[in-house]
Amino acid sequence: MTADAGSRGWLRCRVGDFEMRFDWDVEPGRTLVLFGPSGSGKTTALRGIAGLLRPVGGRAEIGGQLVYDSTTRIWIPAHRRKVGYLTQQYHLFPHLNLARNISYGLEQSNGDAGQHRVAELLDTFQLRGLEKRYPWELSGGQQQRVALARAIATQPRLLLLDEPFSALDGGLRRTLRQELRATLERNPVPVLLVTHDREEALALGDEVQVIENGETIARGTPVEVLGQPGQVAVARLVGVENLFRMRVVSRHTKDGTMLLSGEGDETGFSLEVPLDGGPPATSEQDRVTVGIRASDIILSLLEPAGSSARNRIPGIVARVEPRAPGFTVELDCGVPLHCQVTGAALEEMGIRPGQQLWAVFKASSCFLVESRAGDRQR
Amino acid sequence: MLDRQRQLRWPSGPGGALGGIAGVLYIAFIGLPIIALLARAAEQDSFWGAVTGELALTALQLSLVTSVISIAVVIAAGTPFAYLLARSNHWLARAVDGMVELPIVLPPVVAGVAMLMAFGRGGLIGGLLDDAGVDISFTTTAVVFAQIFVAAPFYIRAAKLGFQSVARDYEDISQTLGISPLATFRRITLPLAAPAIITGLGLSWARAIAEFGATMMFAGNLMGETQTMPLAIMTAMETSRGLDSALALSALLLAVSVVALAVLTLASRRRWSGRL
Repeated sequence: MTADAGSRGWLRCRVGDFEMRFDWDVEPGRTLVLFGPSGSGKTTALRGIAGLLRPVGGRAEIGGQLVYDSTTRIWIPAHRRKVGYLTQQYHLFPHLNLARNISYGLEQSNGDAGQHRVAELLDTFQLRGLEKRYPWELSGGQQQRVALARAIATQPRLLLLDEPFSALDGGLRRTLRQELRATLERNPVPVLLVTHDREEALALGDEVQVIENGETIARGTPVEVLGQPGQVAVARLVGVENLFRMRVVSRHTKDGTMLLSGEGDETGFSLEVPLDGGPPATSEQDRVTVGIRASDIILSLLEPAGSSARNRIPGIVARVEPRAPGFTVELDCGVPLHCQVTGAALEEMGIRPGQQLWAVFKASSCFLVESRAGDRQR
Repeated sequence: MLDRQRQLRWPSGPGGALGGIAGVLYIAFIGLPIIALLARAAEQDSFWGAVTGELALTALQLSLVTSVISIAVVIAAGTPFAYLLARSNHWLARAVDGMVELPIVLPPVVAGVAMLMAFGRGGLIGGLLDDAGVDISFTTTAVVFAQIFVAAPFYIRAAKLGFQSVARDYEDISQTLGISPLATFRRITLPLAAPAIITGLGLSWARAIAEFGATMMFAGNLMGETQTMPLAIMTAMETSRGLDSALALSALLLAVSVVALAVLTLASRRRWSGRL
């Protein structure tokens, strides 16, 4: 049993009619993000690992120790697993003040060692002077810090964080996220973080697993999985604003690009996208799904000339909607194209519905989400 | 937050007016008989004599002893049972849940007769008890039985609601912090459910000390053995200078009950009330 061992295993959990399968492998100091919509089973996975619900089958290792194995019937109860668990609403004990909340899990909370540990954590989390306050007398950010301090006070061998920032607003969320990053650097334990926030996953994750309906549908580094999702389901979950089903018109091996055109009503719409690399390579007439991030599109008042961007598409502004940190402009190009612009750009260009604009983006900003051979078309 | 609590509020419109009138009527309806009782009791010369008389003190002692034993049994068995009812979604627990409150709607006299039919000499398991040398009906044990029968549901219901108000996540977090389920119950669940439990305790104890019908049927009315305060008041009414004595005993029982309930109400107050 080494102190710096990671956590790994697989579990099959059933809650009512819902069943989920999940496997994980996290080294100390690394963060695995479980990304997915609410109800996808992420919280169930965390509770299964913590021993708070009994899985149907599986095997779990925490800190190098086997805590659950359905074949050999090993079951270590939750209170002996040394897991730090942070919930969305923090669940600070309302009848205990801040200091007592933090020291709750310490064996000798009133002894010198316990007092020292609490003092240390109060300093780390900037909670000095608030020791006697009760949970409801603290701000949301302070409550979050107390919950985290309480979770790491007992020096857990695995941290399970269930949407730890979802109850906070944007600015505070970023600050506390940096604090968490720093805390994890000082306490290199394996971390499983559940979130449905893409920014959070990118900021904190070393690896990402996308979970939907109790299944892992994608895994990899955050940039791979969330930047260029390989499946429509993942792309939808991670919020790629533009997804188009298109047909391959021609392939230009020399340029490393191919020309696509829209299907059905969208035949007027065409895109130049990167040639897909790995087998099975697409051939002409194949159907593909293409994703483009709204923030990768440049809007221009005039038709751009002398530009290296391969895609220059005219369209009429259909609507403008605020979307932090700027605005989304929906351009009707035969198909709706969503483009993200800043407030300043919106004002300077005087963008309003009905206006004609050009959408400009590089071929490499388009990525193939899914491809399907032409003969297997629907 | 404190400011909001201190602000005095009275709903405007018909709600405020009707509510106010009804409130005054209610207070008068409840208050008048109590004032009348105390006034009449204080008027008479023999008040202290009756209050400190043998009939009163014997009955009071019996009432206190039996009700405390009953409540101790109710707490000991009712607390884990209430916790089970609060946390289980098993169909068996749900079925039992409905039956727990049956004694609340059952007339106490009927309960007394029913207990006689079960534990009495000729009762369902009376023969068994007799063989074991145990005699329950018309003993002090029967008084305790009757009190538990009628008082337990009040405690179990309140404790169950108290436990339900404690989010399971608190218990989960406690366990992940290395605290065993039993210690978690003692350090988290019980203190957080305490206000509700103490309220239930008060209701349950009040019901036990007021018990009359079931005791009368199942335990009888033997001075020093089964004659509790309510039975003593009844007995006093039937004697020659009955009313005076009954008044004194009633005032005594009222005082004991009010003091006990006030203590429990204060004990159930928490800084964090309403913040679960």
